[in-house]
Amino acid sequence: MKLQKKTDDKETVNAGGKSPDRTPIGWLKEAWAHWISNTPRGTSLGHWASRTIALPQLKRLAAGQIPWTPLRKPLSDSTVVLISTGGVHLRSDRPFNMNSDSSFRVIPREVQPGDLPISHQAYDRTDALRDINLVFPLERLHELEAERVIGGLAQEHYGFGLMGSAKRLMPSIKEVARGISNAGVDLALLVPA
Amino acid sequence: MGLLAREIEARGVTTVGLALVKEVAVAANAPRFLYLHWPFGHALGEPGNIAQQRTVLHDMFSMAVNAPRPGLVVDLPYRWRRETYAPVADWSMPSDSLLSALSLKPSALERVAI
Repeated sequence: MKLQKKTDDKETVNAGGKSPDRTPIGWLKEAWAHWISNTPRGTSLGHWASRTIALPQLKRLAAGQIPWTPLRKPLSDSTVVLISTGGVHLRSDRPFNMNSDSSFRVIPREVQPGDLPISHQAYDRTDALRDINLVFPLERLHELEAERVIGGLAQEHYGFGLMGSAKRLMPSIKEVARGISNAGVDLALLVPA
Repeated sequence: MGLLAREIEARGVTTVGLALVKEVAVAANAPRFLYLHWPFGHALGEPGNIAQQRTVLHDMFSMAVNAPRPGLVVDLPYRWRRETYAPVADWSMPSDSLLSALSLKPSALERVAI
């Protein structure tokens, strides 16, 4: 994977060629996502919407004891997996349904930023498309693997899209959790949209 | 995302999540969350700011190793676009931000009702 260099040239933040693609969502939704992400009032509304949608569902689905697995080995020996709910997926994969999608996508560790479109309509993807690490920091983790800060990156990482119904998402959640556990991963990092 | 963390952790894998909406993170009853008061689509910060992105990852690793109990949603102190980020000096040590949130500022911790 090509490493990034900090630059002031806003169009070339992603080094190594192509930037990720913006899956079109239409100008009205684009303007809405921009407002939600970039203005105080929009952000307040976005937070309110998140709470309104999520809190009643979490009350039902996240009740009871909180699971707890302490990290079982030093970080420098640990295998790390990355999971993003920012709508990231492979260019060769079917894009997420923009309104709601309960499926997930597997993203291999050696993917290039230019092979990662974003299919999501609830946030302004402009900055994430300039630097995919904002929602999917795989390049940063590759650097930390090379620096031996972490033991290694898992072979497969995971992307989710926009989904309002947690209940409908549960089969995918369980499948991803099973896959991660079976892959011998030690630490999962979760990054939101 | 909290539900995903719960399922993964229940299968024996440590999890750390970033959160941009604090109330949702608290309600998720997930093992470990770090809350950032940053805009949607910017969980790791600003495009091209590698030091910022590495700082957040250092905080996540520090949380993975040092969180004292399940269900904590820790406030990270960074202001949006008004911080400078020094390179991480020692990745084997927990981040100052996390240590200070865990030990010096109990108010920064949200104890989740079980």
